Amino acid sequence: MSKPTANWEKVGDKFYRKIQLYTAVFDQDLELENYKAVAAPYSGAVGRRSRHTAIYRDEEKLHTYRGPGAARSSIDIYSCAGKLIRSINWDKGSIKGLGWSEDEKLLVVTEDGTVRCYYDLQGDFAPFTLGHDSDQHGVVACRFYTTGFVALLGNNHLVSVASYAEPRPKLLAVPPPDPVVAWNIIPPAYSLSRSVEVILAIGTTLYVVDATEAEDRNFDAGPFRHIAVSPRAEFLAFYTDDAKVWVVSGDWSEKLSEYDSRVKTVPKDVQWCGSNAVALAWEDEVHLIGPKSAAARFYYDGCVHLLPDVDGIRLLTNDVCEFIQKVPDATVDVFRLGSDSPAANLLEASSLLEQKSPKADDLIQLIRPNLAEAVDACIKAAAHEYDIHWQKSLLKAASYGKSVLDLCSSDDFVDTCDTLRVLNAVRFYEIGLPLSYDQYRRMTPEKLVERLTNRNDYLLALRVADYLHLPTSHIHGHWAQQKVRVSTDPEEEICTLIVKKLAGKPGVSFEEIARAAYDEGRIRLATSLLDHEPRAGKQVPLLLSMKEDTIALDKAIESGDTDLVFHVLLHLRKKLPLASFFRVINSRPVATALVESSARDQDTDLLKDLYYQDDRRLDGSALLLSSALSQPSLPQALDKLKLASKYLADSRDPPAVFTRTAIDEAQRLLALQSQFERDLQQSTRDIPNRDNAAVSLIGLSAHDTIFTLIKDGHMKRAQKIVSEFKVPEKSFTWLRLRALVASRRFIDIEEWSKQKKSPIGWEPFFNEVLAAGNTRVASMFIPKCTSLTVGERVDMWVKCGLLVKAGEEASKAKDRELLLSLRDKASGSAAMEIERLIGALPKGR
Amino acid sequence: MAPATPFNAAEITEKARRDLLLLLEGIRGKKNLVLEKALAGPLNLLVKFSTLQEYGVDKPFFLENDNTDASQRNVVFLVRGEKARTVMRVADQIKRIRRESEIEHEFSIFWVPRRTIVSDQLLEEAGVLGEASVSEWPLYFVPLADDVLSLELDETPSDLYLRKDPTSIYLAAKALMLQQRKYGLFPRIIGKGDNAKRLADLLIRMRTEVAAGETSSNTGPSFLGLGPSTTIDSLIIIDREVDFPTVLLTQLTYEGLIDEVFNISANQTEVDSSVVGGAAPQPGQTGSASTSMKRKILIDPKDSLYSELGDANFAIVGSLLNKVARRLQSSTERNSLAAKTTSELREFVARLPGYQAEQASLKLHTSLAEELIKHTRTDTFTRTLEVQQNLTSGADPSTQHDLITELIDRGTPLPTILRLLCLESTTNAGIRAKDLDTFKRAIILAHGPQHLLTLQSLETMGLLTPRGGAALAGGTGSTVKPGSVTNYTPLRKTLRLWDDEVNEAQPNDISYTFSGYAPLSVRLVQSIIAKQSLAQTIKPVAPGAPPSSNPLAQGTRLFDDAAKYVRGATFSEIQTGDISAKALRARQMLSGHGDAGKTVVVFFLGGVTRAEIAALRWVGRKLVENGGEGRGTRVVVAATNLLTGQGLVDGAEEKGVFKA
Repeated sequence: MSKPTANWEKVGDKFYRKIQLYTAVFDQDLELENYKAVAAPYSGAVGRRSRHTAIYRDEEKLHTYRGPGAARSSIDIYSCAGKLIRSINWDKGSIKGLGWSEDEKLLVVTEDGTVRCYYDLQGDFAPFTLGHDSDQHGVVACRFYTTGFVALLGNNHLVSVASYAEPRPKLLAVPPPDPVVAWNIIPPAYSLSRSVEVILAIGTTLYVVDATEAEDRNFDAGPFRHIAVSPRAEFLAFYTDDAKVWVVSGDWSEKLSEYDSRVKTVPKDVQWCGSNAVALAWEDEVHLIGPKSAAARFYYDGCVHLLPDVDGIRLLTNDVCEFIQKVPDATVDVFRLGSDSPAANLLEASSLLEQKSPKADDLIQLIRPNLAEAVDACIKAAAHEYDIHWQKSLLKAASYGKSVLDLCSSDDFVDTCDTLRVLNAVRFYEIGLPLSYDQYRRMTPEKLVERLTNRNDYLLALRVADYLHLPTSHIHGHWAQQKVRVSTDPEEEICTLIVKKLAGKPGVSFEEIARAAYDEGRIRLATSLLDHEPRAGKQVPLLLSMKEDTIALDKAIESGDTDLVFHVLLHLRKKLPLASFFRVINSRPVATALVESSARDQDTDLLKDLYYQDDRRLDGSALLLSSALSQPSLPQALDKLKLASKYLADSRDPPAVFTRTAIDEAQRLLALQSQFERDLQQSTRDIPNRDNAAVSLIGLSAHDTIFTLIKDGHMKRAQKIVSEFKVPEKSFTWLRLRALVASRRFIDIEEWSKQKKSPIGWEPFFNEVLAAGNTRVASMFIPKCTSLTVGERVDMWVKCGLLVKAGEEASKAKDRELLLSLRDKASGSAAMEIERLIGALPKGR
Repeated sequence: MAPATPFNAAEITEKARRDLLLLLEGIRGKKNLVLEKALAGPLNLLVKFSTLQEYGVDKPFFLENDNTDASQRNVVFLVRGEKARTVMRVADQIKRIRRESEIEHEFSIFWVPRRTIVSDQLLEEAGVLGEASVSEWPLYFVPLADDVLSLELDETPSDLYLRKDPTSIYLAAKALMLQQRKYGLFPRIIGKGDNAKRLADLLIRMRTEVAAGETSSNTGPSFLGLGPSTTIDSLIIIDREVDFPTVLLTQLTYEGLIDEVFNISANQTEVDSSVVGGAAPQPGQTGSASTSMKRKILIDPKDSLYSELGDANFAIVGSLLNKVARRLQSSTERNSLAAKTTSELREFVARLPGYQAEQASLKLHTSLAEELIKHTRTDTFTRTLEVQQNLTSGADPSTQHDLITELIDRGTPLPTILRLLCLESTTNAGIRAKDLDTFKRAIILAHGPQHLLTLQSLETMGLLTPRGGAALAGGTGSTVKPGSVTNYTPLRKTLRLWDDEVNEAQPNDISYTFSGYAPLSVRLVQSIIAKQSLAQTIKPVAPGAPPSSNPLAQGTRLFDDAAKYVRGATFSEIQTGDISAKALRARQMLSGHGDAGKTVVVFFLGGVTRAEIAALRWVGRKLVENGGEGRGTRVVVAATNLLTGQGLVDGAEEKGVFKA
């Protein structure tokens, strides 16, 4: 067994290791230099990575090397181990951008700005276009990040797409039109502005472009041939024309290091290896530059592709797939030559123990104080180790150390064992997902299972999910979808098989399976599968596309989601003739209610037809009444009212009769109002001195009309309304009183007080007049309120400020108490008068 | 770790706030914010405007005003997407800005609380979908106080009862689902009313549906293994429809009365600045202009003075204010300072800011109370109250007709009249057809023919119906389906809805909130969570015997007895989840929670009045005092919206008039 340090390389004071992941990746006759390779996906915010490599033929090279005609291009998707997963034929023109999203969607951007998003690894895609005149200027290149990408157009315009679920290409600020030497992006998750930023090398300087501005950074050391952004955008690397690499901090505040590669040719690619080193790649040579300009060089036989990842970089040649990363600290601790760290000692002790040497215990005693730390380091180092032999040794050492410790939590140990088991399984060449421990942690186990599922490795996915106690519903669902796509069994059998397999497994979406079947054209299978979907709402869209409209409506109603019901209704409304539309909704009250309430705002004609069809007379007339109210002028309103009344003409039930009378009365009222308005306008014109504007009566109620008329002194006309509409005597009295008070015609009220009787008694007169502030007139009504008690009347006098009168009232009733209380309120002559009245009272018994 | 408190107001606020700010942050640069008027209140409660400004909001606009200008490149719409009308308004406005503006705009739409398929469809048809980036702000519950959550769907009553549009039921179910996801299933869902039943069914249905929709990528606790909550006792759903009279009555608690007179929306009320002008003059206000200015006042449940006043009957607010004034005076008085030692002085100075805040609040509430007194002294108010009290105490309704007619003649505002008539109709299962026609005619004469529509709407809502048109619940011998109207006559006795010996100062029953009437809705809740003390209130057992021995307190007798007279479906569902009973018991043991500390969620579908909240708080306080009655002690009130009688009839009122 080779020492783990065999593949270490010292760069400055840090160690890097080059791990050979797979050998014999591609056929030897595959001319890798003719291909472009992109790995899924570039490192990013949450860091998901996978070991897929997509390769497509670089057409430009193909043309130069083989001449036109031989180009039958395709996009081939391989696993890292070189296993072909999928090959997509490509005949859609020149590809200008190819990239992966964090959830393993493959994006293909062509020169004319068309984007295809392959959302699974099966070759199904969703297309969209970039717009912004990309078809005229052409796409030059694209840069991808975890959830989106930026495309550079021929006219230097930059188009950004932030999400693939709902692609909305946006134009960023426009940079100067000079040729772009090199460019790169800072993903939104790591930029200061939280939106994507683009760094463009134009001329000798650099521009930073975001949605709002293109800012010149004022560099003059250019032109910069390459720009590389570290995985978290903490550092930027530039390759200058004079073969130097500059590293600048992500906030542009300081230049951290400079390295002179002393190579004449410009490298093919510059990428970050984790966040600590920059890798430069020429055809068959790779330089790894660490901090402080230290460097290591690697040489290869053939063409090398750099595939950066969040914690390192993958190198791909025909023969091998390698992973270069900084050696994790724990691993350095254990394995560094001459290391005397506790962890190294623990490992040594463990191997001594295996050889049954008594020295094992001596060693343990030596590191006793740091044993816990040593165990920890061994577990960590094991997690980062690729070699199974060393994983075992390290875990054994940790286990040995644990047994010596009195108190030790085994959680990390158990966890690491689980993880390594999974990692080793997926690293196996037939699966070809050489995840590093860090990548696995950032990707999360759930995503790993999802990846395995997407690749149709169902068994492994299920095993992993079971092993890690993760939900398996998705795997089953995916399997079932695949089953309905490819299986050639009779449809009934497929359905029974799927239902049987998924029984008792909640969380599986039958709708998705049914849709897959539907998309394959297996309608009957889709229908029978859809029946098993428990979520009513989910069934709706598919039912609609299957043209099962009424079932869709029922399911939408069942789901309780009015949005879905509306959706189906809109669909039906467009599709069906009106009569059958009404037939469909009539038996479903919720649907009818929704149609009614939405039509009220938007489509009253529909409502009218609906009421007519159902013979809902009252509602129909109400609709006409409300449309009468919204008419801009009186004649039109009257027309509508007439219609409304006619609508109810043959109806005999009491509510209809009542409504009809009311509508007819409304017409009469409006007619009278407009007549009076005209008359009064006439009369005001005749009297030039009166400048009060014409009274407006239309729109007022009968009461308000009377009130206004009386207020303005048109008693006769008011009475006309009263008799016309049989306004009750009491109501009229109230109206007249209020109107007179409002116009402050107290003389008329005084006149009125001479009458013997009032239908509403006299108390309201007192109150209303008093509230208007006229105590004199108000007091005239006090003696007329004979139905009230003495106390109340006394109170009324007091309210008018007439204490003496109050006293008289009280003394008439011989109420000493009342008088005494009045005396306390009174002053001056009034007090004396009350005193006199008290005296006049016969002394108590 | 102690289990988290379910329905935690602070948590919900914080989440809503974060969600919105995150959305705003996603849009670079300054932006103009266009929001629906109905969302202004909740937004103001959740986020200060200054915070919005920090997140780049330049100018706010109301969607309804259609005056959004082109001053910023980014335009953000914050609107509810359930109604086609609002969606079209957004589309129109985008089109208008696009047409008028010279620069290119970035439009974003934040749908509240969810993005709907219909909105997408409509926007697409209008040709603007491609231009706007669409996201959603999942704002469901807006906490108004620590124990009050509202969905702030102000149109719910008219949607539900007039237009029979069940959108709000669905949104309510969604909101409750979110809480279940967090704190576990409601172990019991119990309630009354047809719509309430629909909500309960929907909740149960959604549980299976959500479980079915679970994918491995979903984060957070999974629904699959979700068991009944150990911190929530039950969810009680009350359909507003079962108890309209409580809304129609004038609320007599301080807060309720403020709502009645000045109208509170999202904890804010608008009062003429002449009333409270002295409290805090606004800068830049000139003397003459200030007379007609309206000032916004925050009704703050965290204000210590207000928390004392808010739920008290208005009759005693005056004396409460006096007490506080005296206390403040004595503690801040100058001559008492002289006698203090230095350490006492230091303490005093430290508390000074508190005193000042209290002073300001005292001043504010004193002037508010004075204004309210002015209102309660009016003839209309006292007469209205008289009618209400007579009707609820069970007097023959026809004796009240003269009073109501007089009120109509006096030109009393229409809503007041309608409330009285609806009250009569709902408490007496309708009004005699002849009387009803007379009243209808009187209303049309007094307020105009357009109210023919108002009256029809009220009938559709079941608020104003002719007698005999609907059958009494629990009654027999009727042709119409039984249970479509609440029968108050037997309920007055079985639930003691009328309390003659009401004590406003030292409340001994929830009847204090309406000075005599005990709201039916709250009685129903009491019959579930506080049945022993309710049984004692209704029919006390002999002194000395334990209250639990009261025959009325046995089982669900009280609730069942009452429920048969109340309209609508009655339901009681137990949710156990997929966990075996044994595991459940073990879990309960582990959590070590007695029933006492558990939360009871009372959900009012169709709105809740502030007086009812006060009553429920009183019930909750009593439960805490006597250690619970087996069903939890923390009462949280959740509702689709807060409601007053005015708001209820307002939904039916026709606003249009004939034009010349």
